Amino acid sequence: MRARLPLVLLVASCLAVAAAYAAAFRPDGAPSWAAWCIALGSGGMLSSTMALGATRRGRLRPVAVIACVLTFLVVSGAFGAALWMPPAEGADARLLLGLPLRTAIVLYGVGIVPLLFLPLVYAVSFDADTLNDDDIERVRRAAAERKA
Amino acid sequence: MSGAAALRHPAILVVALLYFAAVAAIGVWAMRRTHSARDFFVAGKGIGIVTLAIAAMASTLSGFAFVGGPGLVYATGTGAMFIILSAAITNTMGAWVLARRMRLLGEARGLMTVPDAIGARYRSGLAQGLSAVAILVAVIGYMATNFLALGLVIDAMFATGLSLGIWLAMLVTLSYTATGGILAGVYTDLFEGLVKTAASVTVFYFVLRAGGGMDGISRAITAVDATFLGPWGKMSALSALSLFFVFGLGSLGQPHVAHKFYMLRDPKQLKWYPLLMSAAMALTQLLYVGVGLAMRAKVATGEVAPLARADDATPAFVLGFTPSAVAGLVFAGVIAAGMSTVNSFMNIGAAAITHDLPRAFGRRVGDELRWGRAWTVVLSLAAVLLAQLPGAVVAFLGIFGYGLFAATLVPSLAIGLNWSGATREGAVASIATGLVLTLGLETLAYFKLFSLPAGVTVSGLALVVSLLVFFGVSWITRARAAGQIDTDVRVVMEV
Repeated sequence: MRARLPLVLLVASCLAVAAAYAAAFRPDGAPSWAAWCIALGSGGMLSSTMALGATRRGRLRPVAVIACVLTFLVVSGAFGAALWMPPAEGADARLLLGLPLRTAIVLYGVGIVPLLFLPLVYAVSFDADTLNDDDIERVRRAAAERKA
Repeated sequence: MSGAAALRHPAILVVALLYFAAVAAIGVWAMRRTHSARDFFVAGKGIGIVTLAIAAMASTLSGFAFVGGPGLVYATGTGAMFIILSAAITNTMGAWVLARRMRLLGEARGLMTVPDAIGARYRSGLAQGLSAVAILVAVIGYMATNFLALGLVIDAMFATGLSLGIWLAMLVTLSYTATGGILAGVYTDLFEGLVKTAASVTVFYFVLRAGGGMDGISRAITAVDATFLGPWGKMSALSALSLFFVFGLGSLGQPHVAHKFYMLRDPKQLKWYPLLMSAAMALTQLLYVGVGLAMRAKVATGEVAPLARADDATPAFVLGFTPSAVAGLVFAGVIAAGMSTVNSFMNIGAAAITHDLPRAFGRRVGDELRWGRAWTVVLSLAAVLLAQLPGAVVAFLGIFGYGLFAATLVPSLAIGLNWSGATREGAVASIATGLVLTLGLETLAYFKLFSLPAGVTVSGLALVVSLLVFFGVSWITRARAAGQIDTDVRVVMEV
């Protein structure tokens, strides 16, 4: 994947968050779509910023693409589900791992699921896709040339 | 927290004294190894990845994570968790976006501070100087609020009175930071991080035991208040998601974390940074999540009277539902949380004055080690004097710290190090926008001259506007982008 796409997605996500905030200034308060904008926008910003950082020499490797897309789907999916599902948190609420269903989807989905794959993807792909001895040598050579 | 807990519970006193003794020993050890500005500001670039990850966690999770955060959960329910919810993502994001670039930039240029990186990226003294000013403003406010929080805890434990408690907190932290610099800071952070993690995990065990597991806690709360455990708690969806946005993306603009990447001995050890940092954060945040819910459940079932102040949730729980040795560990953890954050801020604040601001004007300070120590003392005195002001003023100074860092540093540092199309003009404009918007709107709000609509925070608005300014101005001045990056910096941005 080309490096330009994460940047475009980052700007688009930024505009989505800005639209949510702008909508909150309406005299009758924020419309319901404002929460959707910030849910998708914040998920998009984290994923696209991560993709921008994972880009090397103008290209994004497939493993990083998968990690970033999965992160966006998990975050936006969990927030979207909580916004879309009807409230059911009363005394007889169905609990999932000790929490009401919508809350469990958000807290476990956003707060735990990425923890199970992101650090591992980063570690597994580190030598091939993030930093190796050649990269470090290249930086040291460039620094030495500058000093000279 | 009712007076002199330590005097009523000898175990708390013993744990607290052991804690202070350990911190003092680390301070003396570090002082003997601090011989240069490089030692003082970047720990001689010789620390390992486990130390880095735990120290970064310790300085990220301030006293708020142990007192204010659980209090906020007690008051607003699930919504308060959106402050920490992004931690499952932000550590890996930080590794990809910042860690490698910062460490390699440090390697190439021998950099010591975050504004150094901004100055090198854009070849701009103005960008370096402006970011140093933003850091300095936020640091003093942060330090004042943390000294106040530490003073409150010391007063509650030893009945010293608030003012003396604040001075004692400052003197203890200053004693090892001014002498051992960040080397002392990092190793006390390591120790303090371990204390915090142990305290958090232990307390969470007692949370589950006291509440009858998560099922029991949830049933008790939802029986009397259905919205408290809804996905957004007592907040609106927009407010909760706004917290997620600010604390998620804003994590890339926290100088006390970014600065630590310079200190890593071997850049290839970064491979394990997200795993270690995420695990440490997850364990240490258990207290934040659990205590507020457990106390709300106890109030819901009538076992405990409603708390007079939400911030009493942690002390009330540990004194009421854990053995006194655990309470001692938690109080030590609270002090550790405050001190580990403050020592980092003391150091980066001193670096901003001693190192960054002179360089912004094309000058260098002769003996940075000596001046670094001197400014650490001056900044600490300034923060302690501010901490003696009325509580509302201190809260005002501290409230915008995280947001100010985010709005001024995320675009120019985090995005700029990964986007060669960013320009010096874009960076300067975004830093200035973040600085003016955050300070301006917070001041107007403090004096009740203007308030933002529900769901919109100053931090969130300033962050999104500074990002848009950064993209917009960089796009307008895009013809200059290529000429503003030195060859070695370009190599760092490409690898």
